[in-house]
Amino acid sequence: MTLVKTLCFAPALLLISSAATIAQESAPMDADAAIAEATTVAAAESESRDKFRALDNDVQSLKKEVLDLNRDLFLLEEELLFPANSQVAFFISMDVGEYFKLDSVSLKVDGKEVANYLYTDREVDALLRGGVHRVHMANLKTGEHELIAIFTGQGPHTRDYRRGATVQIDKGIGAKYLELEITDRVKKQQPEFEIKEWE
Amino acid sequence: MMKIRKILTGLALAAFAASSLAASGLTGRPAPDFALKSSTGENLRLSEYRGDVVMINFWATWCGPCRQEMPLLDELYTRYERVGFNLLGVNIDDDSSRAMNMIHELGVNFPVLFDSRKEVSKLYDVDAMPVTVLVDREGNVRFVHQGYKPGYEEKYLDQVRSLLRE
Repeated sequence: MTLVKTLCFAPALLLISSAATIAQESAPMDADAAIAEATTVAAAESESRDKFRALDNDVQSLKKEVLDLNRDLFLLEEELLFPANSQVAFFISMDVGEYFKLDSVSLKVDGKEVANYLYTDREVDALLRGGVHRVHMANLKTGEHELIAIFTGQGPHTRDYRRGATVQIDKGIGAKYLELEITDRVKKQQPEFEIKEWE
Repeated sequence: MMKIRKILTGLALAAFAASSLAASGLTGRPAPDFALKSSTGENLRLSEYRGDVVMINFWATWCGPCRQEMPLLDELYTRYERVGFNLLGVNIDDDSSRAMNMIHELGVNFPVLFDSRKEVSKLYDVDAMPVTVLVDREGNVRFVHQGYKPGYEEKYLDQVRSLLRE
C-alpha cells in the first residue's frame, strides 16, 4: 500500500519540483526585465532632458542673436538717421537746484521749435542726483545756427519762473554735443542757465 | 433715391469701420509714451506707471457721455487704486479752466491731465469722445473703447480685473 502511495505521489512531487524550478527561473527573468525597462526609461528620460537642455540653449542663443540684431539695427538706424558728421545732441543737467524747480524745457533751433519736454518729479530728482538727460538729437548743416532754450519752472519763493538762454552754434565737421546746465547763483539767489559745448 | 440712401449708409458704415480701426490699431502695441501737466500742477508721464494697469480716458467738457462716465470711472479708480490700478483722465479742451470746473463739480479723485495742444490725442488716434484705453502692466495697449453707453462700465470692470490678475 505504501509502495502504491509512493508511486502515486511521485509524479505529483515531480510536478511540484518542476514548477518550483520554473518559478525559480522565471523570477530572475522578471527582475532582469524590470531592470532593463527601468534602464530604458532612465535613458529615455536623460535623452529627453539632454534634448530639452539643447533646446533651451538654442532658445537662449537665439534670444541673444535677436538682442544683438536689435542693437545692430538700432545703431544702424541712428547712424543713418543721424550721421555723425551732422549730428548735434542737446543734454540737460542740473547742479544743486535750490533756486529752481525744473518743469519743462523748450528748444528752438533757428527759430523752429524742435523739442518741448515736460519733466516729472522723478526725472527732476534724477537730474539733481547727477543725471544727464538727452533732450534732443538733430542733424544740422555745417555753419552758424542759433539755439534758444526756454526753461520754465518754479524760481525762488516758489514763484513761476521762465528764462531763456541763447547761444550761437558754429557747426563744423563732426558731431557736436551741447549741455544746457542749470546751476544756482548763490550771491544773487537766482538760478543760472548756461550752455556749454562738450569738447 | 433708394440707391443714394444705400450708398450713403454704406459710406457711413465704412467711415465708422475706418474710425474704429484707427483706434483699435493700437491694440497689442506698446502704448505711446507721453507727459502732461496734471490738475495738481504735477507733470505725469505714462511710462512711470509701468508695472501698474493704467486706464487712459480721453474726455472733453462738451461731451455728454464723458460727464456720465466719469463718476463711474472714479468709483473704479478708488476701488482698485490700492492694487495697482491707475487712471489718467486726459482732457482735450483748449481751455483747461473749464475742465478744472468740471472736475470740482463732479468731485473726481483720479489725476486729470491737460492735452490742450492735442498732441497725446493724436498719438492715440482719438477720433471719438470719450475714448478709453487700457494699458497692461507691460505697457501694452490691450483694450480700446470708443464712446460710452450705459453698461460699458461692466466691460471696464471685467477687463481691469483680468489685467490686474495677470
